[in-house]
Amino acid sequence: MSSCRKRCKREMFKFAQYLYRLVTGTLHADSVEDELELSAVRHRPEGLEQLEALTRFNRKELQILYRGFKNECPSGVVNEDTFKDIYSQFFPQGDASTYAHFLFNAFDTDKDGSVSFEDFVMGLSILLRGSVQEKLNWAFNLYDINKDGYITKEEMLDIMKAIYDMMGKCTYPLLKDDTPRQHVEIFFQKMDKNKDGVVTIDEFIDCCQNDENIMRSMQLFDNVI
Amino acid sequence: MAAGVAAWLPFARAAAIGWMPVASAPMPTPPPDNRRKQDGLILLNVSGQKFQTWRNTLERYPDTLLGSTEREFFFHEETNEYFFDRDPDIFRHILNFYRTGKLHYPRQECISAYDEELAFFGIIPEIIGDCCYEEYKDRRRENQERIQDDEDSENQNDMVPPDMTFRETMWRAFENPHTSTMALVFYYVTGFFIAVSVMANVVETVPCGTLQNRVKQVSCGERYALAFFCLDTACVMIFTVEYLLRLMAAPSRWNFIKSVMSVIDVVAIMPYYIGLVMTDNEDVSGAFVTLRVFRVFRIFKFSRHSAGLRILGYTLKSCASELGFLLFSLTMAIIIFATVMFYAEKGSSASKFTSIPAAFWYTIVTMTTLGYGDMVPKTIVGKIVGSVCSLSGVLVIALPVPVIVSNFSRIYHQSQRADKRRAQKKTKLGRIAARKSGGTSAYLQYKSNGLLSDLIDEASKAAGQALVCKANPMFDTHHNHLLHCLEKTTNHEFVDEQTFETSLLEVSMAKHPPHSPSLSSGSSSQGLSCCSRRNKRKSFNVPNSNMTGGHRNSIQELSTIHIRERPITNSRSSLNAKFEETVPLNCKQPYITAAVITLPTPPVTTPENDGSASSPDYSQANIVRVSAL
Repeated sequence: MSSCRKRCKREMFKFAQYLYRLVTGTLHADSVEDELELSAVRHRPEGLEQLEALTRFNRKELQILYRGFKNECPSGVVNEDTFKDIYSQFFPQGDASTYAHFLFNAFDTDKDGSVSFEDFVMGLSILLRGSVQEKLNWAFNLYDINKDGYITKEEMLDIMKAIYDMMGKCTYPLLKDDTPRQHVEIFFQKMDKNKDGVVTIDEFIDCCQNDENIMRSMQLFDNVI
Repeated sequence: MAAGVAAWLPFARAAAIGWMPVASAPMPTPPPDNRRKQDGLILLNVSGQKFQTWRNTLERYPDTLLGSTEREFFFHEETNEYFFDRDPDIFRHILNFYRTGKLHYPRQECISAYDEELAFFGIIPEIIGDCCYEEYKDRRRENQERIQDDEDSENQNDMVPPDMTFRETMWRAFENPHTSTMALVFYYVTGFFIAVSVMANVVETVPCGTLQNRVKQVSCGERYALAFFCLDTACVMIFTVEYLLRLMAAPSRWNFIKSVMSVIDVVAIMPYYIGLVMTDNEDVSGAFVTLRVFRVFRIFKFSRHSAGLRILGYTLKSCASELGFLLFSLTMAIIIFATVMFYAEKGSSASKFTSIPAAFWYTIVTMTTLGYGDMVPKTIVGKIVGSVCSLSGVLVIALPVPVIVSNFSRIYHQSQRADKRRAQKKTKLGRIAARKSGGTSAYLQYKSNGLLSDLIDEASKAAGQALVCKANPMFDTHHNHLLHCLEKTTNHEFVDEQTFETSLLEVSMAKHPPHSPSLSSGSSSQGLSCCSRRNKRKSFNVPNSNMTGGHRNSIQELSTIHIRERPITNSRSSLNAKFEETVPLNCKQPYITAAVITLPTPPVTTPENDGSASSPDYSQANIVRVSAL
């Protein structure tokens, strides 16, 4: 009831504002808020030497990476919407925004709402040049949405739905509603050794290291850059 | 996909590591990543102005001049640069296209010069970015119209195309009086008779002197009744004949009857016939007199002769809402002031303001500042109200008029622009859809290529079309591999819209017997199939898939005809020797583009044959390809 009243009041205020503007004849465009947006966020990354030390890329690779990064994000940082936009262009058939959201959280290690070039390149360094242990760590981090050290079934279901969303609806065989759930069940059967309903990092790494397919697929993208 | 986003592909691929632990099937092997040679700078000299860019930037679009080996023709050994003898100002935009992936159209450039440069550098104008697309299309259309006008004025004096039917000739004569002498004569004759008819109507009512033994003046109409009747009859006959001729010649009679001009014609001649039919009955003579009023509508027939009248009518129609609003606000003001006036003058004796509707007349006359003086307020309150009324009348009348005038021009231009944008929107949506389906079909093509990509590379090189045919080969193969990994992770496959819908249909109509022979046996053929399950083909029959739509069959026929024609021309390639029965599918861009456009969908797949093995086996023997050479 109180929310209703609050909304009422807000609407009345907006209406009064509108009447005022009508009478005094303010122009609709160019309100003050727009001015603030113009002072965009700018970010300059660390020097090449520091980045070379922090990551496992050499100078040339960092140069290429930065050029590509800056082309899409001239301001030097990626915010979540741009991130989703860019990632969605690789998956035209489905909706990649949910998975991009999880990816964004995985890359944004300092949790400041934007991915700077350092975050970007450090994430890539783990994924492309890291050891299998580090990669598995990263994957676990991705799945563990609330970063509490355990992957619960709900978290896994969210991730799974996000991955299936990327497929879109035109698939063969037809995607049923509980396909992600079934997949999560399979995953948990494999990973959850002590059947306590959550997967810890050790269970995860253990299980993955014993699975040949997963080990092989981890090496798949090693020479991408 | 924007060229800049291509630079993020390594990131997307790295992020795919997130799918690996949940994948239920092993991943496909990545395509071989031939180490690109070190990226170098290229110097482009365009009429003396030097441009430099990375080699990779130019090679993003291998089907343009700069991105392909065609640029080698312009290499200048002495100065070690590529020299182009073209306009450097326009070249700037072309180079920016490579850099940013968006082609812009500069407003100050001439449209034909720009088009020439685009054609020279092998860039299709359709990829102009949305920001400049409208402007580009506008200018292009103006140019076309200008060319068209020039041609038309040349053709003005040409003879009528000889194979027009008599009916078409007549219609053309009616619509464009300048085409032939007869049409012109007809045009002027009808115009003359319209004028005569209107003048007669007017003169009829003029007092013409007195008859003998009558005191009152009689109108000319009554004095020379017979003459006027004959004149009226003649005019009406001409109009009737004209109307019937037009009706006969009209290409679409129903449309003609519905049109405004035809309605005006009918209204103009009907009163005469109704008058003929009706007797001189006292009861209906009043109605008869009313009907004569409609004769004045003949003046509207002039709008066929005057373009200005037509434009005025159109703008009035398009401004109808504004006029309506003006009328409404005036009515409100009138009612308010009339009421106040009535009650103010109620007290005074012998007041003319007998009722509120009677006061309406006073209010209107006062507000429009006419002031006839037939009704005047006598009380003081009445006079005050009257003065307020006239003052506000000035405002209420004078203010909307410029608004309406500006509305006329605004609405007129706006409707023109809205039509333009609507037409452009359709083509824009078409482009987006084509791009999207192109991306999907490209991926499905890739899947059918599978592991034979190496062979394809060699084959296409052998055919001498290596770089020209494939657009951005490395990016595409890596992108397709990424999508393939996603399929493996989720154990579902990407299919195109059509197949998806049909499989939905099949799921819902489970008991519907298949129309086509089962395709699981190897002998029967299937024209084109994109999905992994395919059979060995020996001949190219028209595919007899589950889709029974005749339209689709004919289109598949078309596609198979394409296929049939091609291999014949390619006799010199070693491919034919290698793959007699199976011909490789080459993703030759022009052919695939044609295929995408003529087929509403990429080729049909039959998902349910060959069992339901989840992972397709890419063994060489089973995979059959269709030549597109």
